[in-house]
Amino acid sequence: MASKQIKTNDKHVKNLANIVGGSRSILYHKEDLLAYDSDGFTLHRHLPKAVVFPKDTQEVAKLVKYCSDNQLPFLARGAGTGLSGGAIPMNGEVIISMVRMKRLLSVNLENRRAVVEPGFVNLKLTNSISDKGYYYAPDPSSQYCCTIGGNVAENAGGAHCLKYGVTTNHILGLEVVLPNGEIIEIGENGIPDAPGYDLLGLITGSEGTLGIVTKITVRILKNPEAKQTVLAYFDNVTDGSQAVSDIISAGIVPAALEMMDKTAIEGVEAAAFPVGHPKDIEAVLLIEVDGISAGIAEQINQILEVCNNRNVREVKVAQDELERGRWWANRKTGFGAMGAISADYLVQDGVIPRSKLPQVLNRINQISEEAGLRIANIFHAGDGNLHPLVLFDARIPGESEKALAAGSACLQACADVGGTITGEHGVGIEKREEMRFVFTDEEINAQTDIREVFNPNNLLNAGKLFPMPGRCVEIKKELKEKEAAIS
Amino acid sequence: MITAELLSDLKSILSEEQMIEGESENHLLGNSGQVTIYPKSEEEIANVLKYANNHRKKITVSAGETKRGFGGIIDSADILLSLANYKGIVEHTPGDMTLTVKAGTPFKELQDYLAEHKQKVSLDPAWPEYATIGGIIASNESGPKRLGYGAGRDVVIGLRMVYPDGTIIRSGGKVVKNVAGYDMNKLFIGSMGTLGVVTEVTMKLRPLAKYESLVLLSFPEGNVEEIRSFAIHLLDSVMEPTALELLSPALSQKLIGENLHTLAIGFEDVESSVHYQEEYVKKIQPANSKMKILQQKEAQAFWDKIYSIGPNGAAPAAGSEIEASLKIGVTNLDVLHVINISQQLKDTHNVVVEAHGGIGHGLCQVNLKGASEDIESAIDQLRNSVNQLGGYVIVKHLPLSLRKKINIWGENPSYFFLLEGIKSKIDPNSVLNHKRYVGGI
Repeated sequence: MASKQIKTNDKHVKNLANIVGGSRSILYHKEDLLAYDSDGFTLHRHLPKAVVFPKDTQEVAKLVKYCSDNQLPFLARGAGTGLSGGAIPMNGEVIISMVRMKRLLSVNLENRRAVVEPGFVNLKLTNSISDKGYYYAPDPSSQYCCTIGGNVAENAGGAHCLKYGVTTNHILGLEVVLPNGEIIEIGENGIPDAPGYDLLGLITGSEGTLGIVTKITVRILKNPEAKQTVLAYFDNVTDGSQAVSDIISAGIVPAALEMMDKTAIEGVEAAAFPVGHPKDIEAVLLIEVDGISAGIAEQINQILEVCNNRNVREVKVAQDELERGRWWANRKTGFGAMGAISADYLVQDGVIPRSKLPQVLNRINQISEEAGLRIANIFHAGDGNLHPLVLFDARIPGESEKALAAGSACLQACADVGGTITGEHGVGIEKREEMRFVFTDEEINAQTDIREVFNPNNLLNAGKLFPMPGRCVEIKKELKEKEAAIS
Repeated sequence: MITAELLSDLKSILSEEQMIEGESENHLLGNSGQVTIYPKSEEEIANVLKYANNHRKKITVSAGETKRGFGGIIDSADILLSLANYKGIVEHTPGDMTLTVKAGTPFKELQDYLAEHKQKVSLDPAWPEYATIGGIIASNESGPKRLGYGAGRDVVIGLRMVYPDGTIIRSGGKVVKNVAGYDMNKLFIGSMGTLGVVTEVTMKLRPLAKYESLVLLSFPEGNVEEIRSFAIHLLDSVMEPTALELLSPALSQKLIGENLHTLAIGFEDVESSVHYQEEYVKKIQPANSKMKILQQKEAQAFWDKIYSIGPNGAAPAAGSEIEASLKIGVTNLDVLHVINISQQLKDTHNVVVEAHGGIGHGLCQVNLKGASEDIESAIDQLRNSVNQLGGYVIVKHLPLSLRKKINIWGENPSYFFLLEGIKSKIDPNSVLNHKRYVGGI
C-alpha cells in the first residue's frame, strides 16, 4: 500500500505524524476521530485533536515530549472500555492509543511473572499461559477486550478479586513515560518493596493522570487445583444478603461471591446467555470456591448449609465446567444484557461495608421509585461492590439527566453508610463531583498536590478524577492565606 | 540543649505528665528527642505538628521502638513523638471483616483481640509484642507468610494521617475495594513516617486458619541445586503453601537443631487440605533430605521464634558486638543465592550470620553480629553481590554511628526527583523523620 500523504495544514498533526512514522499511524479527519469521542461512558463526548498509534516506548516518549513542549493536552487510551470516561478527550486531547503496543514480552513461570506491553489484552495473558497451568488473576468483565495498560490505569477489579485482589495487588513493575517525556522504571526486575515511596501503588489506579504506562510486569498465579461453583436462589433479598455475610463469617474466603436481583435476572435471562433462572425470585447468588481439592467439599457443604438456613428456594452445585461456564457467561455479560430490557442503561459502582447490604438495597429501591426508573442490581456481594444499573431511554427528553441523578443518589447512599463511590470503574469524568461525598477539600487537595509533582502543567488527562473546578480548593486556600496574612 | 522555650510551648499543647525531657541522649541507635511526648488524642498530635511546622522544629515519630535502629542519621530531633499511648481498637465490624485501630496498638494485642472473633490481620511482622501497627505499616514490615497473604499494601484499606501542617487527611476508606481518587494508602505505607503521622489504620481481615502445619525439610549441606529444583517443583504444583522460607544452616541450627539448609513450608487451610498438602510434599521429597512436620501449636511456636530472632530496637544488644539486620529483595528464586552468599560472610568477614528468605516472594532477612568494621564490610560485600542480581539491600537495623557511614537505603533510584517532589509538597519544612528515608528525605 502506498503511504498516504498527510492532508492538513495543522503543523502539530504533521509533526505528530512524523514521530510515529507517517500517516498510517495517525487519525486526524473528523470522520475518523468520531470513534474516539468517548469510551465506555457515553454520556459525555468530545472530539480529540488527533489519535496517534506509537509502536514503542520511545515513540510514546517523543509524542509526550512534543505535546508537553507545545502545550497540547494529551491522554493515553487502551481499548476504550472504561466506564467512567477516563479516556474521553474532553479538552480536545491528542489521544495516544496504546493498541499497537500489544506484545507479550516475556513469561517467567519459575518466578511467576510476565512482562507485557500496555495494549496487551487481559484475557490473552491467561490464554497464553493456561496450558502450563497458570493464569493472571484480575478478571474485569470486559477482559476479552480490555487492555492491561487500561487495567493498571483504572486499578481494575473483577469477579474473582474477593480472594485474589485487584490489579494493584498483581503489579510488580512498571515502565512509565512521565508527562514531560522522561522514561522511568519502577519496581525494577519485578522485585517487591524497592526502596522509596510506593510509586507502583500510586500510579496504579491514577486513571492516566500521572504518566503513561508503557511496560508492565505482572504476577501470575498457578491455577487452583479444584474449583466448585454454587448457584442459590432466594425469595427475598435480605435472606440472600444474610447468606453472603454468613458465608464470610464461617471463615470461608470464596474466590467469588456474586449477586443479582430480580430486575438484573430479567435482563440476563432475556439476553444472549440465559441459564433458566426462575423469573419470580428476588436474588440469585453465584458462589465459587477454589483451592486444594481435599478442602473444597467441606466448604461447599458449609455453603449449602448456610443457604438452607437462610431459606434458600433452590441451591445447586455446577455439575461440570460447561455448566459453570454458562453460569459465568450469564453473569459476566450482565451489564450488556440490560440492553435486552432497556434502551439505555447507566452502570454505577458503589462499595459498601457488606453488613449494610439490605439497608442500601432498600434505599436504592426508593431512589428507583422516586426517579421513576428501574434499577437493576448486579454486584460483587462478597466485597460489597454494588453495580446499580439505572435503566432509561435517552430518546425521552430529560431521562438521561434523571438517570445520572439517580446514579449519583445511589453513590450517595453508599457513601452515607461509610462506603465509597467507586470500587473498580474509576472516577473519570462521571464521578468527579461525587468525590465530595467521600473526601474533604483538604483530602482532594492532598491528591491534586501529588498530581502536581508528576504532571505540573496538567496537560495529561486534565479534568478527570477531581471535582470541577479543582480550583475551588485552591481559591479557598488562597483566600485562607490572604486572611491569615491580614490577621 | 533543650530550650526552655520549646518546653513551655509544648506545655501549652500537652499536660506535663505527657512529656519527658532530654531522655536517652547518646542512645546507641539515635532517633531520640530533646523532649519525648505522649499525645493521647489526634488533636494533640495535630497541634504538636502544627507547632513544629510553624517553628521549624524536627520531630521523630516512634511507638514500640522496635525500629529505632531503622534509618535516620540524627542523634536527637527536637521532639520525639511517641504514639505508645495512642492505642486501642476504634471500630471492628466482624461481619465486614474490617478493623480500624489506633496506630500505637501493639500488633499482638490486636491479633489476640481478633482471635476471639476467629479473625486476624494477615501480616506476620517481627516482634509482635512490641511492634505497633502504625510502625509496621510505616516501615512496610512483612514476614514469611507474605507468600500466602501479601503485605501491608494488600491489607490496608484506609489510613488516617496528620500532615505536618496539622491537617487531618484520610486515605482509602472502610471498604475492601476502593478506587476513588489516587490510592494514597500506598504512598504512606513504607514511607517511614516522612509524610505524616499515621493515627489510625483500617485493614481488611482474614479468617483465622482452621488448621496449620509446617513441613521442615533439611537438605544436605551445600546442595543448593537440589533445593532449587525441589522449590520449583513445589511452586509449579497446585499446592498452596502460605510460606516457603529457606533458612540458612546457622538459623536452622538455632531454630530446629539442624545445621543444614532448611525449607520451612507452611500450610494453612481446613485440616484435610493441610494434610493432603503434607502428603504431596512427602511424595516429592528429595531422596537424602530430612523431614519433620509440626502441627498446629508447634507450627505456630516455630513462627513465633522466627519473629524474634532479629535485633529489637527497643532492646538493643549491649556489649562490643554490633547487631545489624538487612532486608534484601531479589527475584524469587535468587533467594537461594542470597542465603548462600550471606552464609559465606561468616568465614570471609568473621560475622555471625542468620538468614532466611521467601522463595515465593523474593524477600530475605539477614541478621549479622560482629565487630563494627566487619559488619560494615560484610554489608558492603553483600550489597555488591545483590546489586549484581538486580536486587536491593536495605539496612533495617544498625547503630547510629554506622548508619552515618553506610547508606542504609542504597543508591537513589533514577526517579528520586519524584520522591523528593512528594516529600517537599507534603512536608516542605522537613519536620517529620528528617533524613530517615531514601536519599536523605
